[in-house]
Amino acid sequence: MSGDLRSYIIRRLLMVIPVLFGVSILIFSVVQLFNPIERAALFIRSEREAANVEGIIRKYGLDQPIHIQYFTWLSEVLRGNLGWSKVVSKPVLDALVTFLPATAELTLYAAPITILLGIYLGKKAAVHKDKAIDHATRTLAIIGWSMPTFWLAIMLLAIFYGYFGGLFPPDRLSVEASIYVQSGKFIRYTGINTIDALLNGQLWIFVDALRHLVLPTLTLVVVQVALLMRVMRSSMLEALGQGYVVAARAKGLDLKTVIDKHAGRNAMIPVATLSGLLVSGMLSGVVITETVFNYKGVGWWFVRAASQLDIPSVLGFSIFAAVLFVITNLVVDLLYAYIDPRIRLT
Amino acid sequence: MSKRRGIGRVTLALAIVLVLVIAGFSYALFSFSQQAPSPTIVQTQTIVTTISQIPTTIVQTVTTPQITTMVQTVVTTPGPQVKNPNTLVIATIGDVESLDPAWAYDTASAEAIFNVYEPLIFFKIDPSLPAEKRGLTGEFEPRLATEWVWDDPRTVRFKIRENVVFHCGDTLTPEDVEYSFERAMVQDRDGGPVWLLLEPLLGVSSTRDDEGNIAVSFDDIDKAVEVDGQWVVFHLAHEFPPTAFLQIIAQSWGSIVSKEWAIEQGDWPGTAETWQQYNNPETPPLQNKMCGTGPFKLESWEPGVQYVLVRNDNYWRPPAKLERVIVKVVDEWTTRKFMLLSGDADMVVVPRQFVPELEGTACEGLTSTCPTGIRFVKDLPSLSVDAFFFTLDISTDSEYIGSGQLDGNGIPPNFFEDPDLRKAFAYAFDYETYIKDAWLGEAIRPCSPIVQGLAFFDPQAKCYTFNLDLAREHFQKAWNGQVWEKGFQLVLLYNTGNVARQTAAEIIKKNVESINPKFKIEVRNVDWPVFLRSMIQRKLPIFFIGWLADYPDPHNFYQPFFHSSGTFAQWQGYSNPQVDELIETAAKSTDPAERQRIYRQLDSIYYEEAISIPIDQPSGRHYERDWVQGWHYNPIYPGTYFYTIWKGY
Repeated sequence: MSGDLRSYIIRRLLMVIPVLFGVSILIFSVVQLFNPIERAALFIRSEREAANVEGIIRKYGLDQPIHIQYFTWLSEVLRGNLGWSKVVSKPVLDALVTFLPATAELTLYAAPITILLGIYLGKKAAVHKDKAIDHATRTLAIIGWSMPTFWLAIMLLAIFYGYFGGLFPPDRLSVEASIYVQSGKFIRYTGINTIDALLNGQLWIFVDALRHLVLPTLTLVVVQVALLMRVMRSSMLEALGQGYVVAARAKGLDLKTVIDKHAGRNAMIPVATLSGLLVSGMLSGVVITETVFNYKGVGWWFVRAASQLDIPSVLGFSIFAAVLFVITNLVVDLLYAYIDPRIRLT
Repeated sequence: MSKRRGIGRVTLALAIVLVLVIAGFSYALFSFSQQAPSPTIVQTQTIVTTISQIPTTIVQTVTTPQITTMVQTVVTTPGPQVKNPNTLVIATIGDVESLDPAWAYDTASAEAIFNVYEPLIFFKIDPSLPAEKRGLTGEFEPRLATEWVWDDPRTVRFKIRENVVFHCGDTLTPEDVEYSFERAMVQDRDGGPVWLLLEPLLGVSSTRDDEGNIAVSFDDIDKAVEVDGQWVVFHLAHEFPPTAFLQIIAQSWGSIVSKEWAIEQGDWPGTAETWQQYNNPETPPLQNKMCGTGPFKLESWEPGVQYVLVRNDNYWRPPAKLERVIVKVVDEWTTRKFMLLSGDADMVVVPRQFVPELEGTACEGLTSTCPTGIRFVKDLPSLSVDAFFFTLDISTDSEYIGSGQLDGNGIPPNFFEDPDLRKAFAYAFDYETYIKDAWLGEAIRPCSPIVQGLAFFDPQAKCYTFNLDLAREHFQKAWNGQVWEKGFQLVLLYNTGNVARQTAAEIIKKNVESINPKFKIEVRNVDWPVFLRSMIQRKLPIFFIGWLADYPDPHNFYQPFFHSSGTFAQWQGYSNPQVDELIETAAKSTDPAERQRIYRQLDSIYYEEAISIPIDQPSGRHYERDWVQGWHYNPIYPGTYFYTIWKGY
């Protein structure tokens, strides 16, 4: 790695610090719009717990001035304590570690399929512009994009779990598999079931986990592939209209080489940007899919925290999301340079 | 270059191959997964059941349990169609908040706790009764105490069972019992359940004053529970209805923990010097770990996801029939429904609005099998009540009272001080339609906070009925006719997602507006935090709220509803010294006849005052796969008691 590139990466990573400050101050400021009693509602799950709301406000310092609340939180963060996630009754860092593997597993399967399928279909549609395949893929894209995720997920569940007698079930593992995984015989390396199953040499758990992944992955792919395909198509069309493509064809290069090597590569830049956003978006949670398929990941956790004004959880998640976006953007920028060597990262 | 037409042959072929591959892959996956190792099916199990018979008199001087033992052979022959025959899977919506018995005050947590920990005594289970009536609320059977004796109305002693071993290996001693109750009082978190122990034992509802400063001494706590040989003695701060005290300590907050183990986990060391450090903690040391004596042990808890209990094979009674219980949190109803239909879940929570979706799918009654494999029982009585409450002293800065004056565009803050107005609203509510619409007819109409199922319930208690003529009369009399003449405008709030409260608000709006065109009511929904804040800050002219029994005694209902220091009465700004005195006297009386007389009097005042109007006492439903056996119901249980359950036909 050249010295320039190394310093570029370090500079980009350092950017995360002001981003985190900005995010945390913004969240703290927004939260102050809520009355202390409203924030105390997080600790009051039923009427009978509401008898001593003043005590709860006092105990958690909800009526303290914003700067005191902020610096109290910050001093704890600097000591490695991100706070307590009330909505899942565990430390924020533990919550993140607990729920991230599920989301990561979903992303691991859904993202590559979405990206590869999107690129393939987009390229096909562009090359066969205004032909049947173009119309078909565009129609599919519109259907996929406009289909409400919630409805699609429920339908898939009804068909492949309800109608086909439990073919592709919700949740992350079946009862037998989860009992085995909980037992001392199974070592948790990553929290990602399919990987851990292979590392433990338990093929049946791998298959079981895969069965549970089919529907959430399919849901994500159907919904997300549309956008990627549309971008790839328009980007490819633009590239195909460029002079160098005509020149390449005039020189006698075969169509496949021109499409893949010349036009395709140039069309990849916007797709790479979008793919980066897609991966970081998936990693930071796909709430509806996670909820319908009972695939509890970080998205499910965050929405639960946000809706109940669980500030430490919201802040913890935001820190995670900010770091994730900075890193993903960095990877995308590095990819730019790979895709198009004319781009210099300085 | 040849011109392409339509989808190329290669693409078409590829598409067909792709479809075939997906289909084949799906089939392979499904078939392969069927070969996964499955748990061993228990064919025959011999169970020794101990049946205890406890005298049922309310005031007991000496209680000598007569223990009879019978050997009952239960042949569990689960056919191949029983999924996970030794594991009970429940798909629920409630999320465990804490596993610490002194901290937990929600039903989901209490369900886990009362299957792992045990109290001294437990609500009697009468196997001769149908499953839905088998759990009794006013009679008890021994658990970690073998017998109990009331020395006098303020002193009760429990003989502690011997040879009981905690899950973590310690042997139960009377010191563990003393420590468990003292530890709970030492902890006493804000908004927690320990006030239930503090009231009878220390005569206070909190260990802290209004400013949050410690208001009791360690001596008070120490002397309340004492060890006397194999016995543990409870000294009550004042006379307290004996059954009510036993009802309190028979629940999750009366669970016995191992002293040695708790101290090892960083909990209160049992000394006077440091007790204040352990008062009102942010998180309790026993938050996510358990060491009880119960029929199940905690295997794992993933907050928000599930908890798993495994059978305690060293249980002091015969071990449970189930090997394992998995309680999963599944937020989405459709997912829970398919889990039940496929047999992946044995029991699921079915919210009222989704009951029609299972019509025709589930068979009624728990005694037989069902072609669909799913059965249910309905009309399970609850010990809860919903009501609407009038705020007598509405905050002047409330955004829900329009102009804040009686000018037709709002209401004055003391609008509901006039009893005629409260009665007018009570008569304008269509109770029957509400129960039919909001509860699908599965609720009863209570007349007072003493709901059906509680002691001293009066089936003859006076009730407001839906009568628009009487409503009109009271509206015409209210505020010397000014309300009728000028009209009013107010906002009714309900918390988003609460269908019953929304229905109630809309019924009030429709009926009240139909009486006089000058009456205007706007129904608005807000999130729970805003609803709660508005209610506590007395901003709501009328609020809807419910109450679930902590223990099945009328005091637990009349106190929040009617006493000036009660939760709801405070939010309403209601105070009546005569009522306060009656409630306090009834709470301390050990004479059932006197209590009955006082509660009848309170019912009468409650009706006349019309300070709040009870609108429903819902009854519940229970859904299960027909291979589940042994489930029983008790309205005071926080959930399912797993010990009596097994799977098979």
